[in-house]
Amino acid sequence: MPQVRIVARNFMDMVAALPAAKLDKLYDSSFICEAVLRSLPPLAKKYVLQMLFLDSPLMAKSMEEWVLPDGLSKHKVAIDRLLQLRVFMEVNDRKKEPSYKMNQKFQSNMQKYLTTGGTVPREPMPLNAAVRLPSVGELETYAMEQWECFLLQLINSSQVDKSTSFSSSMMRAFQRGLLNSSRDNEAPRLTENGFQFLLMETNAQLWYIIREYISSAEERGMDPTDLISFLLELSFHTLGEAYSVNTLTEVQRLAIKDLADLGLVKYLQGRKEGLFMPTKLATNLSVSLSDASSRKEGFVVVETNFRMYAYSTSRLHCEILRLFSRIEYQLPNLIVGAITKESLYNAFENGITAEQIVSFLQQNAHPRVAEKMPSVPENVTDQIRLWEADRNRVEMTPSHLYEDFPSKDLFEACCDFARDYGCLLWQDTKKMRLIVKGELHQQMRDFLRGQR
Amino acid sequence: MASAPSKLYQDDVSLVVALLDTNPFFWAAASLPFSEFLHHVIPFINSLLLLNQLNRVVLIATGTSSCGYIFDSGDGNASGNSNAVCSGIIKKLEDFVGKDSKIGKGSNGDGTRPAISSLLSGSLSLALCYIQRIFRSGTRHPQPRILCLQGSPDGPEQYVAVMNSIFSAQRLMIPIDSCIVGAQHSAFLQQASYITGGVYLKPQQLDGLFQFLAAAFATDLHSRNFLRLPKPAGVDFRASCFCHKKTIDMGYVCSVCLSIFCKYHKKCSTCGSEFNQVAPDSTIPDQKH
Repeated sequence: MPQVRIVARNFMDMVAALPAAKLDKLYDSSFICEAVLRSLPPLAKKYVLQMLFLDSPLMAKSMEEWVLPDGLSKHKVAIDRLLQLRVFMEVNDRKKEPSYKMNQKFQSNMQKYLTTGGTVPREPMPLNAAVRLPSVGELETYAMEQWECFLLQLINSSQVDKSTSFSSSMMRAFQRGLLNSSRDNEAPRLTENGFQFLLMETNAQLWYIIREYISSAEERGMDPTDLISFLLELSFHTLGEAYSVNTLTEVQRLAIKDLADLGLVKYLQGRKEGLFMPTKLATNLSVSLSDASSRKEGFVVVETNFRMYAYSTSRLHCEILRLFSRIEYQLPNLIVGAITKESLYNAFENGITAEQIVSFLQQNAHPRVAEKMPSVPENVTDQIRLWEADRNRVEMTPSHLYEDFPSKDLFEACCDFARDYGCLLWQDTKKMRLIVKGELHQQMRDFLRGQR
Repeated sequence: MASAPSKLYQDDVSLVVALLDTNPFFWAAASLPFSEFLHHVIPFINSLLLLNQLNRVVLIATGTSSCGYIFDSGDGNASGNSNAVCSGIIKKLEDFVGKDSKIGKGSNGDGTRPAISSLLSGSLSLALCYIQRIFRSGTRHPQPRILCLQGSPDGPEQYVAVMNSIFSAQRLMIPIDSCIVGAQHSAFLQQASYITGGVYLKPQQLDGLFQFLAAAFATDLHSRNFLRLPKPAGVDFRASCFCHKKTIDMGYVCSVCLSIFCKYHKKCSTCGSEFNQVAPDSTIPDQKH
């Protein structure tokens, strides 16, 4: 889904925008090297593998021979990305031919990984009978609950039972692009970006929030580089294992509490020290850095009579579906709704496009219908697109109407004048009327005055 | 031939089933010792797992009388300390080779007939069965491909079985890549890679095996459309006859089931149809002009 690419690439752009010295320091950790490697486009990954054990630089021209002519644009994208992230460094030799060499630290870390294998960033705590660790299933429900609670609070603070412990200034920072309050005494409404945010996949939403969190980190006294490296490291921990908080630095300890609110980790109090356990949201972080789609199970069935059945109990899903459909019944495990013209017009007013609605339905199709081709019936998708096109029937151009011409010659002269500038929109020769684009009005007046 | 264009496949994720040739008769005489060979293959497997968190690798060993599963990265306990995994693989390989040679000795009496070729058809079938199980496991699965690391020469007695596996792979749209670490080309694998759209490579220098593997076999199927990959100069399409398993250039073909024979037979041994025609010695004058 393109949105993941946009948001995740923004995160990697943020990483790439770090100053060179900080970026090189980041590559000290082999986990960051792995995460960066996994975030590259597929061609770039292959180039890294090929260059991994080469010590001398390789000429750019010879690299171009690795691809077929159709692949040259992808090749360029891959090389640019590698240079941006300083994985490849450009070396100019005497002949002024550009050649590329791999970043030393990156190379040695990756070589070590391949020959001796990956390790975990820190060792899990030994099993202690005094503390009961939640199972993987419990962790998942905890993560989903926390994340939904956070999202609900984000879009509408009044609807939530318990609020997260984020300070109101933090929430405002998150809501910056997504909500705006038109008037002070009115509840803030979702903006167009806000609606698109809700329809994105969980991983994309997560990356968006994390990006905002890191951007505002400086004001709160945390070094963004440390945060970035901690977050990328987090995805390499094992799901379901508990780690001691004592192994974290100050900055990371502050961050852990916030991450627990988002549902990325679960914070527990052990016998002597605090423990944290990463959830599935955290371990999936590095997967979503590239374009891979998430493997969540869908829950929506759309029928050819425009009725929609969503097998979900989450309030968040209900809110999202309410954006573009009319919810009719809500049963203990099922939400029944219908996609109607009014509900869609409502969605279009709010800035959601038909493409987003259709891709949301396709991405979240229930497994029973997901195997069918197409997963959403074509008459429904076509109708959604047609209703959107309905709103674009009329195109407006500001223009001026000229009438009451004294003579036909003057009328013809004006027409030619307007046509020369490409601004003639309509003319009626019998009644001698003329419509010209607004931008030409001043010149038209001067022309007429000159003719008189 | 392009891989299956289906929404069910995730773009970048691949499942690689690697078939390792463990024929002891070949490795005893090979220029590259088996341990060195593993030193190239295991980092290559690590690199496949590194490229994408969801990639899966399965190792199948091709012995002389049997084949077996050695390693499956989707097992769940494969992540974490990779040294343990590596030594696990080596131990399993040793156990397998021991068992395989026992089976070989048992069936041949005292093992006087040296089995020169390895059981390629068996491991191809194991790989295809595994992939079929993955296909049936859910809607979203990785794009599968098979990588054969073969050193032993082709055994003509396996011709029919290998061709059947190749056609099944073609129907399932699974490319078969081949990397020849032995001295001679393998006609079976040339045909396999040609028919299924895979890559066939015989590296000139075996010291740099990892580099060849990383350059040609590491990319996922989608990106292969944009890469210039090695193509064999010519494909050896010779068949083996069904009666004696000898490689032949010209022979007799049954018109019903297309089985190939080197000598004239009265009855086809595969489909049982009888050939009611004159013997090949007399010529039929075809003089219409």
